[in-house]
Amino acid sequence: MLGATATFGATATVALLGFAAGKREPERAQWLRRLAFRIGLGVLVPAFILMRGGAQWIADKEYPGGKHEPGWVGVGFIVTEPGAILVLALLILTWLGTRRPDSRARAVAPWLASVYLVALGVAWFAMSAKPGG
Amino acid sequence: MSLIKWLLFLHITGAFFLIGGIVIAGTLNLAAAGKQRRPSEIATLYGLIRFAVPLIGLGLLFTLAFGLWLVHEAGFGYGDGWIVAALILWVLGSALGNLGGKSQRETRLLAERLANEGDAPSAELRARVLRPFPLAASYASGLIALAILGIMIWRPGA
Repeated sequence: MLGATATFGATATVALLGFAAGKREPERAQWLRRLAFRIGLGVLVPAFILMRGGAQWIADKEYPGGKHEPGWVGVGFIVTEPGAILVLALLILTWLGTRRPDSRARAVAPWLASVYLVALGVAWFAMSAKPGG
Repeated sequence: MSLIKWLLFLHITGAFFLIGGIVIAGTLNLAAAGKQRRPSEIATLYGLIRFAVPLIGLGLLFTLAFGLWLVHEAGFGYGDGWIVAALILWVLGSALGNLGGKSQRETRLLAERLANEGDAPSAELRARVLRPFPLAASYASGLIALAILGIMIWRPGA
């Protein structure tokens, strides 16, 4: 829960800085993108590891060997496993945005972060409301 | 889906908004405390923190309102120790967060003024960003939110 809420906050921060950079003059925009990359690396990645590690730990404890695992647990993993690739892609795009100010990566990164926020929303609905569970 | 599941979802949504908003405000606040920041940079970061304020406000509202409703629906007592402790911490955390927020608003206004007056790094502004009491109040409010999360998960004494 702590990892998931921190992942949500860190992803929102990266998105916020990315969108803010798009509305600033080039020098300020680059500074905001560098900050987004550092927050992605220093806050988002540890929060994601905490979320994924915590989820695996509790799933192993409650449903050892994956036996009788309810559907809502699967939804959580469906979101977090591709989420790792999404976080990695987000970091690469943010980094590219800091290196090449004219690259399309700078515009895509905050939108990718927004997509991940929606995916996290789906996961927290599945994990808290446990529909069909 | 049953009422209790909806209430739990909305209560947890409140926790996501609250702690998510605290993470946004906390990281941007830390970034503003960097050495040799120009006033315009501090004004930009504090301006972005304003996006976290409605998230934190909604989080506080959702956690309290749907939490109290859940207590009733789930058959807990309003006088249970862990619920009373969480409510006291909620009030304390909100008050401390409000104190820190007021100071940040004043700092942002000063940063905006200095940005329009040459934008040179200012010792006065840096001292304001690093003022111990508001900073401690903000971070204590964040830690209190985490303590409430712990109480909700482990429900000591329930």
